[in-house]
Amino acid sequence: MAIQTKQLVPRFLEKEKVERSGIWNKEFVCNKGEKIQIIAPSGSGKTSLIHFLYGLRNDYDGTITINNTNIQSLSAEAFASIRSNQVSIIFQDLRLFADHTVWQNIEIKRSLNPFHSAETIKTMAERLGISNKLQKQVRLCSYGEQQRIAIIRALQQPFDFILMDEPYSHLDENNRKIATALIEEEAAKRNAGILLADLKRVEYFNADRIVQL
Amino acid sequence: MANSFKTIAPFLNTTQHKASKLFSYFGLGIGVFLLLASVQVYLNINQLLKDKNPRKNGYDFISITKRITNENMGKDNRFTVADIADLKKQPFIADAAPLLSNQFRAKASAGTIIPFSTDLFLESVKDDFIDSVPASFTWQPGQTEVPIIFSADFLEMYNVFAPAQDLPQLSSSTISAVKVTLECYGPSGLQLYKANIVALSDRINSVLVPESFLQWANRQYGNIENPPAARVYIKTTDANNPDLLNYLEQKDYRVNKDKTKFGRIKQILQLVVSGLGGFAILVIVLALMLFSFYLQLMIARSKDNLRLLIMLGYSPGWLSKTVARKWIGAYTAVIVCALLLTAAFQYLVQHFSINGQDHLSPYIHISIVAIALLLWLLCIIVNYRLVRKLVFRL
Repeated sequence: MAIQTKQLVPRFLEKEKVERSGIWNKEFVCNKGEKIQIIAPSGSGKTSLIHFLYGLRNDYDGTITINNTNIQSLSAEAFASIRSNQVSIIFQDLRLFADHTVWQNIEIKRSLNPFHSAETIKTMAERLGISNKLQKQVRLCSYGEQQRIAIIRALQQPFDFILMDEPYSHLDENNRKIATALIEEEAAKRNAGILLADLKRVEYFNADRIVQL
Repeated sequence: MANSFKTIAPFLNTTQHKASKLFSYFGLGIGVFLLLASVQVYLNINQLLKDKNPRKNGYDFISITKRITNENMGKDNRFTVADIADLKKQPFIADAAPLLSNQFRAKASAGTIIPFSTDLFLESVKDDFIDSVPASFTWQPGQTEVPIIFSADFLEMYNVFAPAQDLPQLSSSTISAVKVTLECYGPSGLQLYKANIVALSDRINSVLVPESFLQWANRQYGNIENPPAARVYIKTTDANNPDLLNYLEQKDYRVNKDKTKFGRIKQILQLVVSGLGGFAILVIVLALMLFSFYLQLMIARSKDNLRLLIMLGYSPGWLSKTVARKWIGAYTAVIVCALLLTAAFQYLVQHFSINGQDHLSPYIHISIVAIALLLWLLCIIVNYRLVRKLVFRL
């Protein structure tokens, strides 16, 4: 089981950036169970890559396959199935329901295809230091707290791969350490692959491979 | 997916514009009630007016003649073979048969018990068209007895005038005992037959003899074979059918107004009820449109949340179904209410407005329930398709 890209090139990206990249216009594979860190400076197309892999955008040339299926051929229903069973995500812009409570934000994802019991939400929130925020509206939480909410939400479902786009940008060192450990633990439980895209190398993340975008 | 609408409800904006939602429910209820009630009234009219004519095996029998006017008075106003063929061709006429009349002089006398003698007209028609045909109503050449079917109206008339003429009044059972002598005058002189009244007819105002006798006698005494008929009997499933009435009017045929007068009333009533039904459909369409605006507004206001739900892995198909299903209960309640209201309306109509002699059911017709069911399905399908279209467009 793998996510694979072949000659993937965003239509909007400058030629020089494509030529320097270890992913664009090359063949790239992330196998199940593999931990890959993608280091990508600003403007190199990091968020676009994550969105391409998650099927949110398709303004690219080349192909992306998940389990040997070209994702451009997938229907909306097939994507829904992949997103609830095989691929989880932490967006850079978090994409939380701002007017709803922290608990509702996590529970809406958990109830879709529960991997954990509702109790686990509390345990994870405690571990990441936001257990006292569970009944609070998300828009009243700090960005760092919201990042932790997004992390906990992404870990509620079964997945073969987890895509992360600068997931720790607003976390302090201690919280980065705890969050990374939690994500790696959860990925190990599912024998899932991790694709972590960030501006620079993330300490504490035990990557099997580091790829420059 | 074990989720239900309850899970996603907090993420949808369903609370705003409640007024338009309630108005659309109210409009739908009124529209459905009007439609169901108008169909029921339509059926009631058909039921009531169908019972107005004496029927045989579900058919009405009407006698028609050509209208005699000052212009056509001198001409031959009898039905030609082509006229009868054209009548038979019409889809609303099951059959047509000419009433054959005697083409010779005929006289009847009742002998010494009832000293009564009169010139007589004889007619014959296919047995199918006669309401009471006893087995004895046959005749073969050589037979000296001729069976007669006599109009019940004629007997009634006779009984009115008989006492003044010192004649005995007769009941319908004793009339068969009266021995009538039938005198037929032809070129070769007078021939006497014994005539027996074998039955009375409520339908045909005439003195009927078997067709075989009249055909033979016309040849024998009148020297005419198959003379054209002045009267034609038509057999139809509904004497009040507007198409039939229009056809007869267009052909300028005269018909017993009594038999068809309800047809005109029915035409007007049906027009009014159809108009009401059309208005009801308009109200239903408007109510559904109002509700669709509410749905569009709700989905537009929840657009960001619905998009995010789909991004998180919620299936758009499941979301459409779940969102659309949310209002099934409301439609069901509205349509059931309209159905109950129609049932109550029909009960009251039967109970208070119509006197007991008309056989109107106090219950709604099964087709009303079927229409309500169809409308229910229509609401569900229309709204599901709309929600699905909007969600998949996100």
